[in-house]
Formats: sequence, C-alpha cells, structure tokens
Amino acid sequence: MLDIQTHMDFAGQGKAERWSRFIITFFGIVGLIYGAFVQQFSQTVYILGAGFVLSSLITIPPWPLYRRNALKWQKPIDTDAKSSSSESGDEGKKKKKQ
Amino acid sequence: MHTVLTRGNATVAYTLSVLACLTFSCFLSTVFLDYRTDANIKTVRVLVKNVPDYGASREKHDLGFVTFDLQTNLTGVFNWNVKQLFLYLTAEYQTPANQLNQVVLWDKIILRGENAVLDFKNMNTKYYFWDDGNGLKDNRNVSLYLSWNIIPNAGLLPSVQATGKHLFKFPTDYATSSI
Repeated sequence: MLDIQTHMDFAGQGKAERWSRFIITFFGIVGLIYGAFVQQFSQTVYILGAGFVLSSLITIPPWPLYRRNALKWQKPIDTDAKSSSSESGDEGKKKKKQ
Repeated sequence: MHTVLTRGNATVAYTLSVLACLTFSCFLSTVFLDYRTDANIKTVRVLVKNVPDYGASREKHDLGFVTFDLQTNLTGVFNWNVKQLFLYLTAEYQTPANQLNQVVLWDKIILRGENAVLDFKNMNTKYYFWDDGNGLKDNRNVSLYLSWNIIPNAGLLPSVQATGKHLFKFPTDYATSSI
C-alpha cells in the first residue's frame, strides 16, 4: 500500500499558522497601499485574494516541510515478559501497546 | 491546525478579518474629506401656469416651467470609496402657506469612470414643478441648487450641497400660451 503521510507535527502546525498569518497580512498591507495609490479598492481586494490563494496552497496541504520534528516516543515496553516488576510506575508514560 | 479542514477554516476566517480591516481603512481614509464643489446654475426661461393638478386635489395649482444651464466639474469628488453620485437639482422657496418648500426638478446618476464634467445648456426639468397652492406666481426669491448623494464602497452615505446657488423670480402673470 502507499504510505502517504497526511499529518503535521506540532512544530509544523505552528509554522503553518505563522506563515498563513504572515502571507495574508502582507498581501493585505500591500493591497491597501497599492489600492490607495491607484484609487481602486477592487485592486486591494484582488491582491488580498491572491494572498489567500497563496497562503492556502502553502499552508493548508500537509507538505513534508511540516513534518520535520517528529515526536520522540518512548520505546514500547514489553509488559508481558516482566509483568510484575514495574508495571504501575510506567503505566502513565506508555503511548503504545504492542 | 491539525487537519486540512481546520487550517482551511482558519485561513478563510483570517482573510475575512483582514478584508474587514482593509475596508475600514478605506472608510477612514475618506470619511473626513470635504466633497463640496462649485456648481454654476442659471435659469434660461421661467414661466408659471395655473392648471388643475389631477394628481392631487384637481384644483388649480401653480405649475412652474423652468429651463436651466448647469456647469460643474465633479471629477474631484470621485475617489476609491465613491462608486457613483446621485445628483439632484432642488428648487427652494417660501410661500405664505409654508415656510420651506423644496421641489426636486431634475436628477442624474454618474457612475465612476463616466464623464463627470457637466455642461448642460437649456435643460428641461425631469419632474413637474408643482406648488401645493398658488405660491409660485410672483415669487421673488426662488433658489436653485445642486446636491449629490455619494454612494460609497463602505461607510456613510453623505448628501453634499454644491456651493453655487442661483436665485430667480417667477413672472407676475400666468403664461397663457401653450409652451
């Protein structure tokens, strides 16, 4: 089967949000200045729309760029082998069970 | 921000917030402008008749006939927050019956991009100049002025009066010949 990753890690989510905010704000400011210069508010709206499209392309799909900080999971602990020794102490940290 | 849908939602919502801010900036940049301009109005021919007003009481009321010249340059009024102007020409006078009479005689819509330098000669009015009694005959002080509504992209809908006013008087006798 194809192994296509569709998630973003936590750092990638933060990066995507910062970038989308920055791109849209930047295009909005540029559009406002250009629209004021040519005295056409429609130009401002179109430039903001271009920023929206660019931001959508860059930050909405889960590009591999946003998957560079994988979480470091603990190694799975084999609980069946030594069931009696330290089960209660490790229970909270276990993320996966085989 | 953990799925495509939440990121799409955040992007759309933030874009709309920015759009609202931009629109408000556009409004702020034009709200304090002074839109008044000079207009040059002259009457060419002024008549008054006494005819039955079938639209109202069927009694004989005064009906004014006015043709006018109008010159004005409204190109300076347009900016990025003006979509169109609605011009209207008002006659204002006082009668014994009413302290203030205002009759709109003519109007015109100018879209942005159309020619806003107006030079009309000997124009007929678009609407009847009815008085509600007999206040027009021998009225010595009728003022004619141009106003406009500004239809904006965002913000207020100001009504601006041009600085040029024209005073004229109606004749002392009713016109009898057909015009």
